[in-house]
Amino acid sequence: MTTRDSSMTLRISRLALASILLLGAASGMAQNVQRGAELSKPCAACHGADGNSIAPSFPRLAGQHEDYLVHTLRAYRNGGRKNAIMLAQIDKLTDQDFRDLAAYYARLKGSLTVVRH
Amino acid sequence: MKKAAFGVGAPGRVPASGNAGRLPALVFAMVLAAGLVSPTQAQPLTGNAKAGAQRAATCSGCHGISGLRNAYPEVFHVPKIGNQHPEYIALALQAYRSGERTHPTMRAIAAGLNDQAIADLAAFYGQGGRRAPQTASK
Repeated sequence: MTTRDSSMTLRISRLALASILLLGAASGMAQNVQRGAELSKPCAACHGADGNSIAPSFPRLAGQHEDYLVHTLRAYRNGGRKNAIMLAQIDKLTDQDFRDLAAYYARLKGSLTVVRH
Repeated sequence: MKKAAFGVGAPGRVPASGNAGRLPALVFAMVLAAGLVSPTQAQPLTGNAKAGAQRAATCSGCHGISGLRNAYPEVFHVPKIGNQHPEYIALALQAYRSGERTHPTMRAIAAGLNDQAIADLAAFYGQGGRRAPQTASK
């Protein structure tokens, strides 16, 4: 299989996965990307409107792993990561909000990549 | 069950435009203020991506494998750090080293890094794993 083929296969399976996840969200089971987009508006000031922050102190979020993003949000809330700015932003959010936000950012296009040594 | 009030921009609640505009501005002001008083921001070290590449052998055991999951204390995918902002990577490593971030493995690894090592790793990963120096590492 060529790289192009496997990349296409990957894209299709991603699409299938996204559809399944969206169906799950519709039944109230999982995350809601659209709701995540709504919730993300205050985040744009630092992380960029498309999740590719310009300010170098703030991480790029676009295309990051969804479950990692949920983990980081929980960590800012429970003190596993101490950061006054992030805590102030997400203190009032629920776990469902975290899942929705993470689903949104994970699906945005970005340059983040896995670097093999 | 626990449905706390949503922040600005939540569905079903249209925020007053004044507040919506003020919040990001406030955040930026806080960030600028933090930058002015933080000694670590005053003279950033120049990272050497080639030196960072040598150090990254340790990191690649987790960050260099697509789809690898962290198993303890929570299960989640190890983050993608290639092409992340070098400044942010450095801040994250410093936070693990100081204990502001509690992840056990990352704390143990960051504890062995000095400021130059952190800058080198940040340069290497910040430019997506390329070893050659880049003048503009954005």
